[in-house]
Amino acid sequence: MTPAVEFQSVSRHFGTVKAVDRVDLAIAEGAFFAMLGPSGSGKTTCLRLISGFEMPSAGTVRIFGEDMGAVPPNRRHVNTVFQDYALFPHMSVRDNVGYGLMVRGVDRRARRAKAEEMLALVKLDGFGDRKPAQLSGGQRQRVALARALVNEPRVLLLDEPLGALDLKLREAMQDELKSLQQRLGITFVFVTHDQGEALSMADRVAVFNEGRVAQVGTPAEIYERPATRFVADFVGSSNVLPPEITAAVGGPRAWASLRPEAIRIASEGRLRGIVTGARYLGAGTRIEVSAGALPRTPGYLPQDEGGIAVLVPAGRAVPAVGSEVALDWDEGALHLMEGA
Amino acid sequence: MPSDARPPLGLTLGAIAGLAFLHLPILIIFLYAFTTEERSYQFPPPGLTTEWFGVAWNRADIWPPLYLSLRVAAISSAMALVLGTLCAAAMARAKFFGRDTVSLLVVLPIALPGIITGMSLRSAFAIGEIPFSTFTIVLGHATFCIVIVYNNAVARFRRLGPSMLEASADLGANSFQTFRHVILPNLGSALLAGGMLAFALSFDEVIVTTFTAGQQSTLPIWMLNELVRPRQRPVTNVVAIVVFVATFLPILAAYYLTRGAEETAGGGK
Repeated sequence: MTPAVEFQSVSRHFGTVKAVDRVDLAIAEGAFFAMLGPSGSGKTTCLRLISGFEMPSAGTVRIFGEDMGAVPPNRRHVNTVFQDYALFPHMSVRDNVGYGLMVRGVDRRARRAKAEEMLALVKLDGFGDRKPAQLSGGQRQRVALARALVNEPRVLLLDEPLGALDLKLREAMQDELKSLQQRLGITFVFVTHDQGEALSMADRVAVFNEGRVAQVGTPAEIYERPATRFVADFVGSSNVLPPEITAAVGGPRAWASLRPEAIRIASEGRLRGIVTGARYLGAGTRIEVSAGALPRTPGYLPQDEGGIAVLVPAGRAVPAVGSEVALDWDEGALHLMEGA
Repeated sequence: MPSDARPPLGLTLGAIAGLAFLHLPILIIFLYAFTTEERSYQFPPPGLTTEWFGVAWNRADIWPPLYLSLRVAAISSAMALVLGTLCAAAMARAKFFGRDTVSLLVVLPIALPGIITGMSLRSAFAIGEIPFSTFTIVLGHATFCIVIVYNNAVARFRRLGPSMLEASADLGANSFQTFRHVILPNLGSALLAGGMLAFALSFDEVIVTTFTAGQQSTLPIWMLNELVRPRQRPVTNVVAIVVFVATFLPILAAYYLTRGAEETAGGGK
């Protein structure tokens, strides 16, 4: 099957800055695809390469098999929900939503009907006469969504769509976006720096780092089997063990990742250390265990390495800061990573 | 925090004195338009009359300068609207080497003393062997009118931000449609304000005009010449009131227009 969006060795350089560097990517039709990464990792530039606001310095971007070459943004069958929504302040909500139809010459009556239909889709029936300034942040977000969907794009691009919303609203919108995507069956590509958002909404995630794709996979693959140290650290802040420690705890001499929630405090363990910090998170307490002032002894954390994070679930006793603890985990919890 | 406490008495008196210094002379100009003494400005006026308005209306020598001033102001603001907007669009959207320098050069004419602008234009016209005409006055005025329009438009362009223009293109609009449906409606009040300010500035300009007008008289120059004449002096004051109204109203309107736009733009945030 032809992918909805395909990158073939795409680069986008700004002078000496390699914003996007030799990226290969295939996004299947109907997917809910997340581009995840810290700011400056190239994810937004990739989105703009799809919408046409950036042109590749090298490589090919295809949309449904068609080489986008020099196709300008207004001729591409993709639409974007902008990060700041970019609603037109001088137009009513209805005219905002109908804008894509107006510039294509659809007559007023049909435009109005379609705009109302779109507003109903995002649960904003009856808001057509308002101006964007009269809406809340969440409502503006929905208008931006309705406006982008009115042209029935084959791919919908979302740039940090929930970034400006507060936590409660963000969670509600996550569910809503997900169900909307399933109902419409359109390919959604969204950019986010929030790994929780990417893992909970997307069915495939590409993790970006320094202009390159570090890993592509399902949320579970990314979370449980990170390919690189960067992915392990960025997605859910896993413990990254250098080869010496992996070897010391019974593994091969290789980089490995170990999830904080996979570690438990035990009387006998694979590793010992001192609790140097604790942070209460509500659903648990994240404690930091390191060598502290202990002498360099086999079985203890070496002094020159950073500490190990352990998530103590709520309800379990949290060891006091300064106390010595032993750490243990199941055999399969240690995930080895290739090379870097 | 603005406090409820009253400012010190000295400051209040100072402010009142400052405002009085600025505005009382204008009121005196108005007062002299009604004086019965026509040969000198005598204070207080020996008597009050409205006859000078009728006299001014019937003086044939007032009308040509008035028409000339209106024509010059209209043409130079129209030119400024087109060129200033285009210039602002280029500055706000494009990034190129030396952009800041060009931006400074565009704004410079308004910082330059009028006498220097006037001298340089006069010598340029002489070198180009361009005879003085309405056109040369318009060129002189356009130098600062463009800046006014540019300043208004460029601020609005910046606030418009790139993403709204991108959103328009993303939804399928071509450049013309984006200009027509997104840029122009958002720029409208800024352009109107800029155009009216430019009109007002052009209408009462004296310095640059004296260098570029040749034998013609615009209204302000006519007034300047009239002040040294010994008869019917209050007519000049009547004209002064007309000039005041013709320049003050557009400036007032421009002030309210841009202020209203600030509010709506702020409300969108």
